[in-house]
Amino acid sequence: MNEIIEAVNRAAADAESKAAAAVDTAALEALRIEYLGRNGLFPELSRKMGSVPPEQRKDTGCAFNTGRNRIQQALDAAAARLGTGSKTAENAIDLTLPGRRNKAGHRHPITQLADECVSVFRRMGFVAVDGPEIEDIYHNFDALNTPDDHPSRDPKDTFYFPDGRILRSQTSPVQIRVMETHEPPVRIVAPGRVFRRDTPDATHGMNFHQIEGLSIDKNLSMADLKSVLQTFAWEMFGKDVKIRLRPHFFPFTEPSVEYDFSCVVCGGKGCNVCKNSGYIEIAGAGMVDPNVLKNVGYDPEIWSGYAFGLGLERLAMLRYRIPDLRFLYDNDVRFLEQF
Amino acid sequence: MDISRKWLSDYVTLNCDDAYLCDKLTMAGIEVEKVENTSTIPAGVVTAKILSREPHPGSDHLSVCKVTDGSEELQIVCGAPNCDAGKIVPLAKIGTVFQTAEGEFKIKKSKLRGVESFGMMCSESELGISDNHDGLMILPEDTVLGKPLTDFFPGDTRIELEITPNRPDCLSMWGVARDVSCLLSTPAQLPEITAPECSSKIADLVTVEDQELCPRYIGQVIKNVKIGPSPAWIQERLESVGLRPINNVVDVTNFVMLELGQPLHAFDRNRLAGNRVVVRRAKAGEKITLLDGKVIELAEKHLVIADAEKPMALAGVMGGEFSGVNDDTTEILLESAVFKSSHIRSTSRELGVSTDASYRYERGVDFDMAELAAKRACQLILATAGGELACAPMEITGTRPAEPVIQCRFEKIRTLIGTAVTNERIVDILQKLHLKVENITAADCTVTAPLFRLDLTREADLAEEVARIDGLDKIPAIPVTGKICHPDSEDAYAPLRMLRDEIIGMGFDECVHYSIVSSASALADSRFEKSDLIELSNPLSPDNGWMRPGLLGEMLGTVGRNFARGNRNLRLFELDKAFCKNPAKFPEERNELLIVMTGCRHPELFSADGEAKCDFYDIKGVVETLLEKFAIRNFRMTAPATPDGRCREGHALTLYLEGKEAGIFGELNPKLSTSWRGGSAVFFAQIDVTALLNAAGRVEKSCKPLAQFPATSRDIAFTAPDSLTHGEVIDFIRKCKAPNFESVRLFDIFVDDTLKKAHQKSMAYSLTFRNRERTLTDTEVNAAMDKLRSRLASELKIELR
Repeated sequence: MNEIIEAVNRAAADAESKAAAAVDTAALEALRIEYLGRNGLFPELSRKMGSVPPEQRKDTGCAFNTGRNRIQQALDAAAARLGTGSKTAENAIDLTLPGRRNKAGHRHPITQLADECVSVFRRMGFVAVDGPEIEDIYHNFDALNTPDDHPSRDPKDTFYFPDGRILRSQTSPVQIRVMETHEPPVRIVAPGRVFRRDTPDATHGMNFHQIEGLSIDKNLSMADLKSVLQTFAWEMFGKDVKIRLRPHFFPFTEPSVEYDFSCVVCGGKGCNVCKNSGYIEIAGAGMVDPNVLKNVGYDPEIWSGYAFGLGLERLAMLRYRIPDLRFLYDNDVRFLEQF
Repeated sequence: MDISRKWLSDYVTLNCDDAYLCDKLTMAGIEVEKVENTSTIPAGVVTAKILSREPHPGSDHLSVCKVTDGSEELQIVCGAPNCDAGKIVPLAKIGTVFQTAEGEFKIKKSKLRGVESFGMMCSESELGISDNHDGLMILPEDTVLGKPLTDFFPGDTRIELEITPNRPDCLSMWGVARDVSCLLSTPAQLPEITAPECSSKIADLVTVEDQELCPRYIGQVIKNVKIGPSPAWIQERLESVGLRPINNVVDVTNFVMLELGQPLHAFDRNRLAGNRVVVRRAKAGEKITLLDGKVIELAEKHLVIADAEKPMALAGVMGGEFSGVNDDTTEILLESAVFKSSHIRSTSRELGVSTDASYRYERGVDFDMAELAAKRACQLILATAGGELACAPMEITGTRPAEPVIQCRFEKIRTLIGTAVTNERIVDILQKLHLKVENITAADCTVTAPLFRLDLTREADLAEEVARIDGLDKIPAIPVTGKICHPDSEDAYAPLRMLRDEIIGMGFDECVHYSIVSSASALADSRFEKSDLIELSNPLSPDNGWMRPGLLGEMLGTVGRNFARGNRNLRLFELDKAFCKNPAKFPEERNELLIVMTGCRHPELFSADGEAKCDFYDIKGVVETLLEKFAIRNFRMTAPATPDGRCREGHALTLYLEGKEAGIFGELNPKLSTSWRGGSAVFFAQIDVTALLNAAGRVEKSCKPLAQFPATSRDIAFTAPDSLTHGEVIDFIRKCKAPNFESVRLFDIFVDDTLKKAHQKSMAYSLTFRNRERTLTDTEVNAAMDKLRSRLASELKIELR
């Protein structure tokens, strides 16, 4: 230890406390000049370096550099604290200007929900498959055990083409197409567009999107279905969401259920979204009807399975509190860029 | 269907409150849509006793009473003549809100002619209990004080149920009572149904010509009836579920339909030609005027109830205008029949006529109920309208349908539901649902479903019954197990998602449009003509009846709409199906990608860069980026062979993937945007998604070692004729195969006035040279460069600078 080292350490400590106390950038500049400026303390100490005995020079040099760095850091920190960096410095920039970037693109809310659903089910071993939107009566109705005079077949409700085919009214025909071409077990989801003859209004459109799920294996039961739907509810809306199965009726499942989520808006306490019931109806599900299995050549004595389906528009409207379904098809960028 | 709690409790003991009952019903698959208490007594009206009565000092008809509700004494000013001390009366305390025809009326502390009053004692009419407003409602002397009046006059609860199509048996009070009895484990009981015997017969009273459509018809004649209002209890029942009472006979037919689910019709027998009915198909040209005044032209397919001459009712749907009971009716022919459900459904739908009767018939009525309902109606008509049975009921019945017999394996039920429900519980549930369970062994049993449960034909149907009664909440959630069924390569969704991700990554917002469009929208895409379009048979409106052949038409609408709303800077895309009828052009369904961009290239930038507008090279860049991202090397871009109606001429390129046309991109034909307000030039790209995905990833990626030796670059600048393209320049440079040449990059292109006049432009390129084994010397690069420069100068007609 020599006096230069002592002087350096003292100066560094002094400068640090002064810098910490500085109230404006002018005070900082004065400090800089006092210690680091051309006629400041450090250049002066540096000139004394020649008088240091050679065996001490390494240590002294080290201490000198450390001290100078400490002061510079103290000044920088104080400048940052005073807000604008060194506004007075020649290379100052306006840090508040917007970053230079590329515009971000946005996924449509329906696709966003479809993507999320597919991801969730894919993690449970479901494969995403596609089917035609122009369907035949057999796949859309007959094979799905729909009675010949079922109202959904009515041209009032379903779009027909002159050749007798239709626009699929549900994604369920994809189930049939997959089972016709694959030996069990199967485990698929089918997202896609479906068509109903509804005049567009706040909750209806000429078409909407569904995602369909189907799993066929040995010994599958409603307990498996419940687990898949429970997992889906958790992944989409968080661990607090409860699901509730209610008996219902669909031609292509038996037993059939509707499944409800505890209201994602009020958490089940009751609000106008869930009509004070605490639950929101999400969609239909059930055990695949033995007639459907027979129609695709699966033996219902060996194979069983479950199917479920839900509407993506409804899910998107719930998730993002979209008040009117027509917003989803209007494609105003001010809407699209919110998602 | 609406039910009333009071009415329901005529058949089944309801040992629970409304909320519990409704929850049980919903969770058993009989969904409660709405619950409504029909009590007119407002909350806040309690039982109270008048302690004293003094005359009002300032009025000769008011009294000042001291009243207690058991806990506090209140002073009430009352105008009723009967507010005598000692009487127990209903008291509306301060804060009680009455709903009146004029609106809400709230009881407040008030002063009547100078005397304070702390509430109101009520008459029956004020409480909506009756029309009596002669004085206060007087309650029995032993009434407990301070209790809500609704405890003594609970009113009724109206419950709206959603009955699924498989459960027509629940379209009656008795049907719901059967399920409720099972759910609450309380007994269900029909009232005693008796009717007098009569042995005389009326020949040809009923003739059934089409037994397939009318498998059962029971006609009975009651004479000397006196039409008038039905008794209060029947009116009250009907009103409790929203039906308007009409007269005693009609009310009974409605009452029995709602009670037992069997629709009935009462004909005025004297108005029937021949005093008889014939169940037959209509004859061509016959007409009927229905009760609601609608005139129907009948065809041979329609089943009618006719008299000896003409149709009097549309079977199972609605009676004719002149068939029914009126004030002068004295003799009725009462019909209790079964009609084929599909026939009623198609008739009702075809003619657009739906009634409570058709609603039940089209879902299927209980074959066995017709007889009991006929008896019940007879019993009630005799009791309410008098008269006597004129003959034995005439019944024409075909084959009774077979009751389904189902083998029920207990283990199979458990496997399907996924719970450990015991054999005993299964049997118990099925029996409580009125199913016959026989031959019970440790493994299975034989179940016979009654005719009112035709939905039960298979084991799976029984599993549903067990599951819904035992409770779906008992089913555990078992985590997914089993084989992963298909390799991921079959996943149809993943590549589309990847494509979307790339485009979104370039700053584009995704759009979704309807796939059903107008022909104008469809034909905005000049690739198509009307014969290529797939047309719907039954569009919602005549101008919205085509499947979109491409995505351009709807996207143009969206661009125009956004412009009109002041959204000028757009980067939009859609990836979805397009449809084509002409297989020579496209498959029927294919995925298409449409990208549009317009306005400022980087509106988010703050410098002058933010003002720069998109141009052709922006959309080209988007396409090039996609090709790179999908590792597509086998592509070609050339100017369209013939002008494409979608594009501004000379500002578009056709994209070829693997040798086949797969899309186009460039500037939109200004003709397509003439109706827009505002906005700038629009650039678009349309790409066939299947072709893009097929071409993707054909090149196997393999790592090449990085060059170890430095590169040397040299610039070259020249003026060239306008017509010389960049493509020609770099093709030429590459063809020269200069030694150690690695790459070439355009770094400047510019035109000033002088150059413009001379039809010239200035171009500047930077060339890179590298050798992979050694560092190049200036001398050898210069030599290569010199040679290249002189070849360029001599062969490309350029002037080096």
